Amino acid sequence: MTTIQVEYPEVDVGKNRALDPIHLQILWNRLISIMDEADIALLHSAFSTIVADSRDYAVILLDRHARSIAQAQICVPAFTCSLPSAARTMLQDFPPDSLKPGDVLFTNDPWICHGHLPDFYVIKPIFHGGEIVAYFAAAAHVSDVGGRMDELMARDVYEEGIRLPPCKIYEAGVANRPVMNIIAANTRHPRLVLGDLGAMTGAATVVEEGIAQFIGDYGAAALDEVADQILTRSARAMHDAIAALPDGDYPYEIECDGFRKPTRIKLNLKVRGDAMILDYTGSDDQRADASINCVLNVTHAHSMFAVKCALVPTVPNNEGLFGPVTTVAPEGSILNARFPAPVRARSMTSFHLHNAIFGALRPFVPDRVQAGSGSFWWMTCSGRDAANEPFSVHVLPNGGTGAVMGKDGFPTMAFPGNGSLTPIEIIENRAPLVVTERSMAPDSGGAGEFRGGLGQIIRVRTLRGPANLTLRPDKVFFPPPGLDGGLPGGKGEFMIDGEQAPFEPFTLQEGQELTLKLPGGGGYGDPARRDPAALAADIRKGFVSRAKAAELYGVVPEAE
Amino acid sequence: MTDMTRTLRLGFDIGGTFTDFVLLDPESGRQTIAKCLTTPHDPAEGVRQGLSELFGGELFCGLDVDADALEIAVHATTLITNALIERRGARAALIATKGFRDTVEMATELRYDNYDVQMEMPTPLAERDLRFDVTERLDRDGNVLVPLDEDEVRALARRLVAEKVEAVAIVYLHSFRNPVHERRTADILREEIPGLLISCSSTVSPEIREYERSTTTLANAYVQPIVSHYLDATTQTLRERGYVRPLHIMVSSGGVSSAETVKQLPIRMLESGPTAGVLAAIEYGRRMGMPNLVTFDMGGTTAKIGLVINHEAKKSNVFEVGRVSRFQKGSGLPIRIPVVELIEIGAGGGSIAQADGLGLLAVGPRSAGSAPGPACYGRGGTAPTVTDANLVLGYLNPDNFLGGDMKLDAGAAWSAVETGLSQPLGLGVERCAEGVFRVVNENMLAACKVHIAERGEDPRNFYLFSFGGAGPVHAYELARALGMKGVVVPPGAGAASAYGLVASSVAFDLARSHVTSLDKADWPRVTAVYEDMREEGLAILREAGVGAGETPIIRRFMDLRHLGQGREVAVEIDEATFATGDLEGMSQAFYAAHRLRYGHAHDHLPVELITCRMTVSGPSVLQSGAAATQAVAPGVPEVKGRRPVFFPELGRYVETAIYDRGQLAPGMSFAGPAVIEERECTIVAGPSASVRIDPLGAIFLDLNTPKRMS
Repeated sequence: MTTIQVEYPEVDVGKNRALDPIHLQILWNRLISIMDEADIALLHSAFSTIVADSRDYAVILLDRHARSIAQAQICVPAFTCSLPSAARTMLQDFPPDSLKPGDVLFTNDPWICHGHLPDFYVIKPIFHGGEIVAYFAAAAHVSDVGGRMDELMARDVYEEGIRLPPCKIYEAGVANRPVMNIIAANTRHPRLVLGDLGAMTGAATVVEEGIAQFIGDYGAAALDEVADQILTRSARAMHDAIAALPDGDYPYEIECDGFRKPTRIKLNLKVRGDAMILDYTGSDDQRADASINCVLNVTHAHSMFAVKCALVPTVPNNEGLFGPVTTVAPEGSILNARFPAPVRARSMTSFHLHNAIFGALRPFVPDRVQAGSGSFWWMTCSGRDAANEPFSVHVLPNGGTGAVMGKDGFPTMAFPGNGSLTPIEIIENRAPLVVTERSMAPDSGGAGEFRGGLGQIIRVRTLRGPANLTLRPDKVFFPPPGLDGGLPGGKGEFMIDGEQAPFEPFTLQEGQELTLKLPGGGGYGDPARRDPAALAADIRKGFVSRAKAAELYGVVPEAE
Repeated sequence: MTDMTRTLRLGFDIGGTFTDFVLLDPESGRQTIAKCLTTPHDPAEGVRQGLSELFGGELFCGLDVDADALEIAVHATTLITNALIERRGARAALIATKGFRDTVEMATELRYDNYDVQMEMPTPLAERDLRFDVTERLDRDGNVLVPLDEDEVRALARRLVAEKVEAVAIVYLHSFRNPVHERRTADILREEIPGLLISCSSTVSPEIREYERSTTTLANAYVQPIVSHYLDATTQTLRERGYVRPLHIMVSSGGVSSAETVKQLPIRMLESGPTAGVLAAIEYGRRMGMPNLVTFDMGGTTAKIGLVINHEAKKSNVFEVGRVSRFQKGSGLPIRIPVVELIEIGAGGGSIAQADGLGLLAVGPRSAGSAPGPACYGRGGTAPTVTDANLVLGYLNPDNFLGGDMKLDAGAAWSAVETGLSQPLGLGVERCAEGVFRVVNENMLAACKVHIAERGEDPRNFYLFSFGGAGPVHAYELARALGMKGVVVPPGAGAASAYGLVASSVAFDLARSHVTSLDKADWPRVTAVYEDMREEGLAILREAGVGAGETPIIRRFMDLRHLGQGREVAVEIDEATFATGDLEGMSQAFYAAHRLRYGHAHDHLPVELITCRMTVSGPSVLQSGAAATQAVAPGVPEVKGRRPVFFPELGRYVETAIYDRGQLAPGMSFAGPAVIEERECTIVAGPSASVRIDPLGAIFLDLNTPKRMS
């Protein structure tokens, strides 16, 4: 398979009197609000910092044909693209007519799900009157699935941890103990992993109740009708937005850090009438020495996120939007890796795709694209505390976001992913660490008419004894790019006591200090056009130094 | 009245547009209401005017009593919220632990909107040039890792003077475990800068999670100078009128405190106006024997929904102020204080309806506000709003708005709906107006459902207690769609909040984070935390006039979670469980609460305590049954007129009886459909409603055969 495109039956929305624009809006909003409830239930009952604070999860409603029709409003956007296709694959192994109420299907196969093993996917059929009327689907990034301690150096997926093919983790409401035990036995943090799995399946209850009420209010047929209409209208909105672009080929190339050597991503964005093709032919080949390969699902999901931001940001996310866009990547390339390629840290590649798409689309939608963002780094700290109890904490700080036309980027904010940094006081309560600094990094925002958001400086020591650290820095060699004449943001840096720290896992000894400097966002537009008052304010607040103002903006504002 | 003992209670609520006054005689239940325009430049001026109006130019003359008869004056206001939203506070500085001065600007790192690259974020209340850091550090248990550098603090004091700073927030990491460095810093600053207003995070919000503690403490500092000035001016105004007892203030958690307490913790006054509305519902509920209510307050821009269970408001420990984007969660500043929980939806009379990008009808959250206002106001508004749709549907009487003081232009409403909706959607004007009504109702319905379900409650057990200018127009449909028992519209629905003020007891909420696994807890240390809070709480009660002879009510809560879980659940710990230190009982109470809320619990995992909470309150101020009821006269009121009104459940307009609320007396009843008009609001009763007036004068719309919207 080298392409992804979803197809739907077309429904004539004009003729359907029962669901006019008013009624449809009401029903659609109701489904989204059910998913928002499920989102809260999952968030609040989750165990790991990566789910509860960093929000690395999603909940989606699928219709009876396993097409995604509604999602919670703040969940990780990329999951919502891969969850429905994963559901359809699981349903090939467990056909719908074989399923019973209370069954829950599970897998973490990267080629079925979201491109690496820690992403757990579950689906649960929702029954009404003995029939499946919809599915609840959830994805969450769990804390650990065994495998190597490092993030980047596996040579195949077998080194990266346990892989479970589609299976039932609940059968008619009863937990499948052998499977749960296999999961528990193969993770370093069974309490966190099974706790998060409980939160995922617990959220299904909320959706089941919501759908039962929906059917009570509107009938089961209304659910099918609203699904068709959501998908058809959304597809039409995307088709219309694409049709407004001029036909043609719009190539754009980017380079990013990769691991031990740079990755080149080559995009040819083709507009053909009301359809779009994202052709990544010519991008690098897959790597056998670095866990940075993307399966096609992931490439498509991250591409769709950028296309939606640029063309139809306000349409609620659902699979109808994805149909008009085809993603093409040659099998065996870094964007369509063959099994069993190593994939653990695929976001080292996938989190850069939006820069190519925004670059290609900028001439047509200059105010709907964003310069490159610092995005997140991954750090796991583990070990044993003074009482010899094991500890493990994930720290996922973000750099600054890229500037957009008309606005500076934000300091320390997630993009294209979405999640928050665990509060420092919580980190220190979970692990014997002391964070000695968390501050905005001056001069890290890319210069431009609109400045990139500032990255951050984080310094960490251990309170007592050593801590094992696994780090995944990015944009250390290729900083977040600017747009339309804006300059790139500041590069990332990471050091132990002022010396370059290794990319490999290391032990932070008592008395040592680790410093992370996360990249700032790229600038937008020529720095010479920056409003002098805005630049003066930047200098006053210490966002930009006088020296850099002179060097990059060609102005030396007078001292205040 | 000639009795000169202190019995009367005065409440006044300064809102964005109006200042409302209520004078209550608790023995007779008699209440007098006055309303005047708010004077934002000097709110005390509005208070002066209102008092004059209420009492005929001389305090209490109209009622033939003097200020000595006033037992208490209680005040609430939205001015704090407005000062924060409009960034009209003081020049405030933040002092943080070395390396952490940017916490308030770096925020949570979460985007509240996934797809909008043009998203807005709130600006911090202190820009970076007014944020400083000082050498000091505590560990998670409050032990000193790095001592406070006092010379740095003294040097910083000179800098603050040079920067003309009016107020300072001090927020050090882990200070909720040990306030020593924050307090020492405050002492040094006071020495160096006499009269400087200082807020310490260990006093304002002693809870774990540094971002929320920082925004809360900084917000406290930011509003402190204006609140101090304003409360002094208001106290002075009352003095001039002969009221010399202390001024009392409604706090966000629904109790009443002294003005002196609130001057130290002004952020606790946030949203006190809307909170008072919920307290009014509680008090009416108590008098009517209705322990459970959903409150529904709908004004021009937003609707607020709250929950009363067993005569108590549901509370929350965080509030987001000043959302910059369409009321979206995450787009405002988190303020972590105990608040009566109200969900706010961008749905009001001024909410604008339009055809969205998908050719669907969308309503709000954009609002025409009061300027230009709905098209029918005739003040230049052209976009169709909820009020315009309500006029097309026959709910509003163009000649009865604000008692006829303001004429509504029905033609303008019709053409706004026609141009803005009919043409793009290809549907008739009436169908579109119905659509606006139903979509805005559904938006509120969805929020209501989520809110009620999150609390593990079932809407079918509740009446909807409705007030505010637009609430009673929409309440019937909302209650019907939720399958509720019906709607209650209290007398004086226009000044319900002020009534809540005079009905509230002295009460205050306290919190301290103390992180420990329950199975390994050092119980004497936990009880010491509660003892600390109890002493502080009792001092606050004493200051608010609760006498030594009166027994305070003390309730303890714990924020608990499974060991290692991300979020906590607040669980009440009863007196016996606490007194015996029954840790197992506390764990069991948590598992039960978690199961109720999320459908599951991990009973085999230990339970972790994060934050200790306490509510202290004085005795109830109104005795049950104290309120006199009016004479009951069964009968059917006179119909004032008839007009065609649209009802969604019938799908058509029907000729509907119109009543004047002034003509309705306790005991009367009649069947829907009906429209009841009063000066400040209009009550719509659909065809499934039985209307009755209860002995207190409240209007009940009973839904005997609950049906769901279809």
